[in-house]
Amino acid sequence: MPSFILFAFKRFLQLAAVIFAGTSLAFVVAKLSPISPVETIIGRVTNRASMSPTAIQSLRETYTELFGLDIPLWQQYLNFWGRLFTGDFGPSLVAYPTPAIDLILLALPWTVGLLTVAVILTWIIGNLLGGLAGYYQNSRLLKAVGVVAIGIQPIPYYIVAFLMVIIFGYLWPVLPISGGFAMNVRPGFTPQFVLSILHHAILPASSLVLVGMGTWFFGMRALVSNIVTEDYVTYAELAGVEQRKIVSSYVMRNAIVPQLTALAMALGGIFSGTIITEQVFAYPGLGTLLIRAVNGGDTTLVLAVSCISVIAVATAIFIVDLLHPFLDPRVRVG
Amino acid sequence: MRNVTTLLASLGLAASLFSAPVLAQEDGAVPQTDFPREETLIVHNPEPAATNPSMFNLWVAGGGGNVSNGLQQLMMDTLWYIDPDAGLDGAIYNSLASDLWQYNDDFTEMTVNLREGITWSDGEPFTADDVVFTVETQMANPGLAWSAILSENVESVEAVDDHTVHFTLSQPNARFHSIFSVRWNALWIMPEHVFAEVEDPLSYDFNEPVGLGPYTLHSFDPNGFWYIWEKRDDWENTTVAQYGEPGPQYVIYRSIPAIDNRLIDMVNGDLDMIHDLTPEGMFSLVEQSETSRGWFPGFPYAHPDPTLPMLIFNTQNELFSDKRVRWALALMLDARQISMASYRGAATLSAIAIPPTGTHPADYHAPMEEWLVNYELDLGNGETIQPYNPNTGAEIADMVRPQFEDVPTDEAAIKTAFGYGWWKQDIEAATALLESAGFTKQGNQWMTPDGAPFAFTLKTFEEGVINRMGTMVAQQWSQQGVQVTPEVAPQIFGQDLPLGEYEVATAWSIETWGGHPDLSFFLDSWHSDFVVEPGERQPSRNWQRWEHPELDALIERMRVTEFDSEDNLQIGREFVELMVEEMPVIPVMSYNVFSAYDTRYWTGFPTAEENPYANIVTNWANSRYILTQLEPAGAE
Repeated sequence: MPSFILFAFKRFLQLAAVIFAGTSLAFVVAKLSPISPVETIIGRVTNRASMSPTAIQSLRETYTELFGLDIPLWQQYLNFWGRLFTGDFGPSLVAYPTPAIDLILLALPWTVGLLTVAVILTWIIGNLLGGLAGYYQNSRLLKAVGVVAIGIQPIPYYIVAFLMVIIFGYLWPVLPISGGFAMNVRPGFTPQFVLSILHHAILPASSLVLVGMGTWFFGMRALVSNIVTEDYVTYAELAGVEQRKIVSSYVMRNAIVPQLTALAMALGGIFSGTIITEQVFAYPGLGTLLIRAVNGGDTTLVLAVSCISVIAVATAIFIVDLLHPFLDPRVRVG
Repeated sequence: MRNVTTLLASLGLAASLFSAPVLAQEDGAVPQTDFPREETLIVHNPEPAATNPSMFNLWVAGGGGNVSNGLQQLMMDTLWYIDPDAGLDGAIYNSLASDLWQYNDDFTEMTVNLREGITWSDGEPFTADDVVFTVETQMANPGLAWSAILSENVESVEAVDDHTVHFTLSQPNARFHSIFSVRWNALWIMPEHVFAEVEDPLSYDFNEPVGLGPYTLHSFDPNGFWYIWEKRDDWENTTVAQYGEPGPQYVIYRSIPAIDNRLIDMVNGDLDMIHDLTPEGMFSLVEQSETSRGWFPGFPYAHPDPTLPMLIFNTQNELFSDKRVRWALALMLDARQISMASYRGAATLSAIAIPPTGTHPADYHAPMEEWLVNYELDLGNGETIQPYNPNTGAEIADMVRPQFEDVPTDEAAIKTAFGYGWWKQDIEAATALLESAGFTKQGNQWMTPDGAPFAFTLKTFEEGVINRMGTMVAQQWSQQGVQVTPEVAPQIFGQDLPLGEYEVATAWSIETWGGHPDLSFFLDSWHSDFVVEPGERQPSRNWQRWEHPELDALIERMRVTEFDSEDNLQIGREFVELMVEEMPVIPVMSYNVFSAYDTRYWTGFPTAEENPYANIVTNWANSRYILTQLEPAGAE
């Protein structure tokens, strides 16, 4: 047990280092953006009326000061860390002076809700079918699944999403093609609202599942194909162990460990959102927010989304690292 | 399967629980409504979903809220509206003002009489104090959008009585009323009784908004994709009442980022008005939906906005400082190919620096055509040519006729739809002009007087018709021996044009009222007083940074000439002649917007052929007048 604590401590230090380096890098990259939030706002204001250069200069000074950009970069960096420790990223510059975290909290539930469903479903279906296809290599049905997966996987996501919009929105209009919930449903803890959310999530989630499933399918099939040739599987078969038990306990269980690691990383990655899904299905989420922040030169918002993403991925890997010894007894932590 | 269903249901529930703190703001405030289609107009808002959906304070420039989500069209009001088309009773609407602006003799004072009996949506009466408060609040808060321009122009403002406001200006300005005249938007009047209680108007979200328009906010998507507005019970106390009762009880504005979804929604009857489609999207829509149409009943469908896409030269760049070079580049172009490439032929061309839209063809294009036909261009080698081809529009109509039905055959209709004429492609004349400017040709490559290859980049939009126009122009110039590299500029209006970080660009520096010949909307900003040094930020809209003493003289005359006068129109025509002579930009066409509407549930929309009373482009605040003309289709 002491060795595990030492292992966990080392991993924690690594986590802290990764978060520090990742967020610092995000700060530098955000500040390198050629798009100035002050100039973007001035562009918007001056498009409405003629303004003399002196009036524009006074606007520029006003916004530079309001946005806290009139101090040296190193001071902005220190301020950023100071705020980060209190969970405050500062005011968004494209929605000044609304705190960036408020905008993120608006979008985050939708991204987390949609992508958690999609990632988990994709993972379950892909691994289940992949595992079975790897074990029952002569099954025609599973071979057909493999052919379908090979066929769909190379198609760019936006084409699959677009086809689904055409099929289920136009040719056979049975599903909503945009929005997070129906306009006539009052938001709240009601069955109507929950059902409306589910109804609107079917198309975007299905598109993600359809395209994402292939990766898990092929990964699992390859892993299982190797494991079925292992001696202990052959012995189990010779010993007359029930086939269902061999598949679940001998084969799948061993193959699933690397897939679980990948799942954790995929779950961590959902915090950066899915831009194309959000655009095609007019679905709320972090991806669109991030794009708007980048285009508006909103360094605060870009940094806030990036930091949350860095922290989420790093923490997911940290948790998987800690769980690894329990999932796979062969792993030694000493 | 049961497990999957359970998982889905629990995750859905988790998502709703997650959303709860955000959605709670709506809880209890919004009654459940089913929005019957015969009472509901559904409109496409071209803005993306709002970044900060609960922000309704549209006086703040960067608050992150949307403005064309119905807020500026249905809830706001100001003194005057100038329509880009014919208008219901002329293009100028007296809105909160009961009559037109009244200046003193030297245009240093303006008096406004206000309409009586108008109330805010919360029942408070609208008075002159609201106007005074709006102006003073803007001036006192430099972060507000209209602060700088008011501070520059206003010395003092006072309420003479409840319904009269008097402005004293800091300099003569016969166009001061423009600040309060809607062309897309204007300075909206603020409710004093609300904002007077607010400590910091910059951070105030104005949720629930209080307005002077005929609708109030019913509900909105916490994610900013849709906003629903409900007709006021007391709509008769608003300024649109003089044109009738707005038809729809509810109006829903939806942000729909994907063009395909807009098209599908309209075909399915889930959308009544679309702000814009691609040309191909429009062709497809009218094929698939019998009840859908554009501004024109047939080809070219699109509404010409009073905006003039053009080729803008950075005249501070030595390459383009000589007008002979600019003219040579104009004569290398074939407008028919540009029209086909950008709009599939559905462009409305303009050779002159005025958008061919609204009342402008009657004020400028038609009366000046004879001058254009006779215009002689000096090639610098002792020869002159007459470069204008009055038949370009008709030639394009002939080109598209085999492909599309309903292409007009009547000469006047062709001119309305495709434009009057454009410059002839004349490579010999372009060669003569470049040679007289000291350029030489080596093989098929033009060389500058310095001996360097004549090469530059052409910045253009990321996508759409303007991008297609830029690509075609670059191709045509390259074919004639000028090395032109097209380059997309995502922040073209925010960065490249104002900072002068371009050589030639496809964009626009000319936007007009559309429904009135006055050109002050863009022209005042073209004065050389506003032109900055290279590297500094150029105030909009003289992106070409062009200076000319005759231009300054025209602008100075305009500043002290009555808005609605024959003299003002004359100034406009002299401006057109100067622009032809100098060619600081190459005007190409109007910005045609493929707006569409569907008559399945509502009728009474404006049409190009019969009743062009308003612009059908949905994000213009002027579009509010359309609502007064709409009737449920079943009522007929």
